[in-house]
Amino acid sequence: MRAISCGRMAAIIFLISGLPVCAHHSGAAEFDVNKKVDLTGVATKVEWTNPHAHFYLDVKDESGKVTNWNFELASPNVLIRNGWRRNSIKAGDTVSVSGIRAKDNSTYASASVITFPDGHKLNFLYADEPGK
Amino acid sequence: MKQRLAGSITAALAAFVAVMPLAAQPQAPAGGQNAGNGRGTTLGLYRNQPVPPTGPVVKRPDGTVDLSGVWLGGGSSDADISRALKPGDKLMMLPWAEQLVKTRQSKEDPEANCLPAGVPRGSPYPWRIVQTPSHYFILFEGNIHSYRQIFMDAKHPDDPDPTWYGHSVGHWEGGTLVVDTIGFNDKFWFDYMGHPHTEKLHTIERYTRTDLGHMSIEVTIEDPGSYKQPFTTVGRATLMVGQELLEYICQENNQDLEKLSGPARGPGGR
Repeated sequence: MRAISCGRMAAIIFLISGLPVCAHHSGAAEFDVNKKVDLTGVATKVEWTNPHAHFYLDVKDESGKVTNWNFELASPNVLIRNGWRRNSIKAGDTVSVSGIRAKDNSTYASASVITFPDGHKLNFLYADEPGK
Repeated sequence: MKQRLAGSITAALAAFVAVMPLAAQPQAPAGGQNAGNGRGTTLGLYRNQPVPPTGPVVKRPDGTVDLSGVWLGGGSSDADISRALKPGDKLMMLPWAEQLVKTRQSKEDPEANCLPAGVPRGSPYPWRIVQTPSHYFILFEGNIHSYRQIFMDAKHPDDPDPTWYGHSVGHWEGGTLVVDTIGFNDKFWFDYMGHPHTEKLHTIERYTRTDLGHMSIEVTIEDPGSYKQPFTTVGRATLMVGQELLEYICQENNQDLEKLSGPARGPGGR
């Protein structure tokens, strides 16, 4: 039987479901893969921190009400090795984000794919789209 | 594509024996021969990594095998230690341990709380071995950013204080480094599932660098306080050519803890 690493498994599950796994906790205990979100807004802050990097996004709804969302990424050590830089996304950037919402229905989500106006993309693990 | 990936994941889950992340290697491979061939490959979470070298292992001046470098994988399954069992071995918990696994919650996992993962739990982060004449050190990038020390050709103290990594002594059996550890505390979990242990835990790790770029790691686990019989986990570590360990301070911004809910479970919810 061929062994498969936790990291390799994490990458496979991420590609299938967008669910972040093999971090320092169970992704399934935090996020609900059935609660997908697609939001566009302006980044207000980036936290290049462990155990996860985060960026915050001001999202305006149809009534003009602004809600600040907190999106989780992998940890900087993983992101750096996969082409991310600490300024790959910056405060003031307008981006569209697809992700998976926290089970508690708060404005907290795991970022699956981040799309910039020029079309380039980042995701939870890599500085380009998975499979490209 | 999704169907193909779904097939891959099913097969992968079935075959998930485990590889514990222990570390990687920054310097050129010892000896310089058969280094990565320049083509990128995926190692764990990491894409576009140099292909691990092959070729014979290198000996140190004292005749022992050079294990130095940055490695990835080789530990037991972070998700479920039973996936890393040596063929034929069984994980047979005592009744109290079975009951405890059923009641544990994800947010109670010490690893989720940025506490050490103990032995032999894996992680997706690299690790490094440093060899000196009297001590070997395993440096973990995460989780957590910590280290183990192995006292070479030494003896255990009679009554070691219980600690997260225990008291480790090492010796060589041919080309295999054997690390014997006692004196563990009972706090860390073997995996996300919450498989427990007691302070009676005794581990015997066997590290064999099978070629320049790969290391087999077998860990025999004896804990008569939790399991009916000993069992052995198997893993395979891969050299990460050209990598250095990076900082990973889990305690810095651990927002996840308050979001975790539900029973202890594997990363995909299993």
